[in-house]
Amino acid sequence: MQARNHAQVIEGDIAGRPPPVAGHGRMSAGLIRSYGLAVIWLAIALGLGLLGQAHGLNRVQTPLFMMAIMVTVWYGGAGPGAFAVLVSSIAFAFFFSEPKHSFEIHADDQPQFAAFVLFALMIGWFSSSRRRIEQDLRRARDQLAAEVAVRTEQASLLDLTHDSIFVRDMNDIITYWNHGAEELFGWNAEQALGRSAHDLLRTVFPTSLEDVHAELLRTGHWEGELGKTRADGTALVVFARWALRRDGEQQPLSVLASNNDITERRRREEEIRGLNVDLAKRTAELEASNKELEAFAYSTSHDLRAPLRHMAGYSELLQKHAASMLDEEGRYYVTKLLAGARRMGRLIDDLLAFSRIGRTETQSALVSLERLVREVVVELERETEGRDIEWKIGPLPSLHGDRAMLKVALLNLVSNAVKFTRTRARAEIEIGAMNGKPGEVVVFVRDNGVGFDMRYVNKLFGVFQRLHRAEAFEGTGIGLATVQRIVARHGGRVWADSVLGGGATFYIAAPKP
Amino acid sequence: MNEVMGRILLVEDDAEDIELTLKALGEYHLANEVVVVRDGEEALDYLYSRGVYKSRARGNPAVMLLDLKLPKVDGLEVLQAVRGNDTLRLIPVVVLTSSREERDMVASYKLGVNGYVVKPVDFHEFVNAIKELGVFWAVINEPPPGSVAKR
Repeated sequence: MQARNHAQVIEGDIAGRPPPVAGHGRMSAGLIRSYGLAVIWLAIALGLGLLGQAHGLNRVQTPLFMMAIMVTVWYGGAGPGAFAVLVSSIAFAFFFSEPKHSFEIHADDQPQFAAFVLFALMIGWFSSSRRRIEQDLRRARDQLAAEVAVRTEQASLLDLTHDSIFVRDMNDIITYWNHGAEELFGWNAEQALGRSAHDLLRTVFPTSLEDVHAELLRTGHWEGELGKTRADGTALVVFARWALRRDGEQQPLSVLASNNDITERRRREEEIRGLNVDLAKRTAELEASNKELEAFAYSTSHDLRAPLRHMAGYSELLQKHAASMLDEEGRYYVTKLLAGARRMGRLIDDLLAFSRIGRTETQSALVSLERLVREVVVELERETEGRDIEWKIGPLPSLHGDRAMLKVALLNLVSNAVKFTRTRARAEIEIGAMNGKPGEVVVFVRDNGVGFDMRYVNKLFGVFQRLHRAEAFEGTGIGLATVQRIVARHGGRVWADSVLGGGATFYIAAPKP
Repeated sequence: MNEVMGRILLVEDDAEDIELTLKALGEYHLANEVVVVRDGEEALDYLYSRGVYKSRARGNPAVMLLDLKLPKVDGLEVLQAVRGNDTLRLIPVVVLTSSREERDMVASYKLGVNGYVVKPVDFHEFVNAIKELGVFWAVINEPPPGSVAKR
């Protein structure tokens, strides 16, 4: 049935339209077959008619020819039909109307012959219209089937994507629901189709639904973030893209909605926003406390120094003014007063320098540590004068950092080495570089001085921490704390190693430039 | 107060500092050259010859020794006013302060200060510093025109 239908569609001459794909040869073969069949049907009708006549049956000829015409029209179309009508009229006139075997028709038989021809024409016409309708219907059905096939394929392709896609009509009724939508929302197609999309998914719009729809109708699409709810009740945030489909008259037909799940992204963004708010708050707090510290350091600088200066000044004046009135002990007390004031002055200066490390902006440049160490050694000449010191300054790397600060750090370490080797007849001070962790530069300052007890190494870098009595080695106890702070600001670390009485080594590790 | 006159204007709020400064200057017989004002407002009153200094003898000091931390109007504000005024802008100004803070130093120099001296804690050094300042600015240096003449 299918094959024959197909062949007829290809012949296609009844509606006067060219066949869609057939070649010329195939068309003429079809024609020959239709006309051949017409001839065969007519021959059968004629034969049966003659057979009937021989047996005295004179009324069967008309229906036989009509049947032949109908069959011919049905299978052959209008052309062979007309041919059949013509041939059967001639055959009827020749064989069956009086006088027989002539094309003349007896006057009595003329109405009957006219009725025959008319009837034949009508049969032919009806059959051919009927056939045309039939053929149109078939063509429409085939087109529909083809379209369904294409659509089904498209739908199955849409089903393959993990994106959630569904279609809803203008009454918000879901008419298509892909696999991705099922995965995302937890409703399967059976549950979703025919339901109102906004009700099913409990859509939350950023603005009013009217605005969204107005934009959709105006521009043909809309996109934005929507709140949705899954089948299991969990909330979702999706980035939705809507596209409006219109029919031939530009009337809105349906909306294709694709949704991407951005819940996790939103959540992370929220998290980051929260963290940023926290960070901003903490930064503000830190800034505030830094400001406080700065104000504190500033007033320390000003206000603590003034009374100290007065103590020192008046002690001095007392010494000058009353020296003759004071006995030895009295004069000793005054010197102690002066020494105390001086020491306090130094403490304040060191403490301020220490606090300044945290407050001042560092300026980063490539600093040659070797050159810096040599400068430091020159600066310490006053202290090293008259001493026997063997300096070993090995090749030293360069560092990215603040030159002034790094110099302060090295000055502290080297002057410590000078100070704590004072009791040695011959001091050995080595400043060198060594291998550290990958990406790190390690510099050490080693001396053969008095060293320190490793039990107290954790106290070494604390502010105001001293491991020696002040009479033995002067100092404020801020130097190593300053070193640590400077190195920490350069992203490095410091540590120390010593044997009591056997010298000490201080290490600085900093990131390679 | 109209007899108040001197080549050194000391702007200082701290009584002890004033006394020690005067003692230091006294060792070089410069104490009577000093006019002492106790805050920034008074300093400006003196310089503009207004308020209690309305009838003071004319002339700018040969040098102003200016503390930074002052009540009411601070040292930097005084400096700004002085440098912004046509008749006062030439006065040599030396900041004499306890502050070693870089920002104070930078701000002072930006405002065109002639010197910046951190008061030493040690009295010897303090005396030396004050003495040298006084001698240089009040004796050695030729002050700009319009300054109080040497006696």
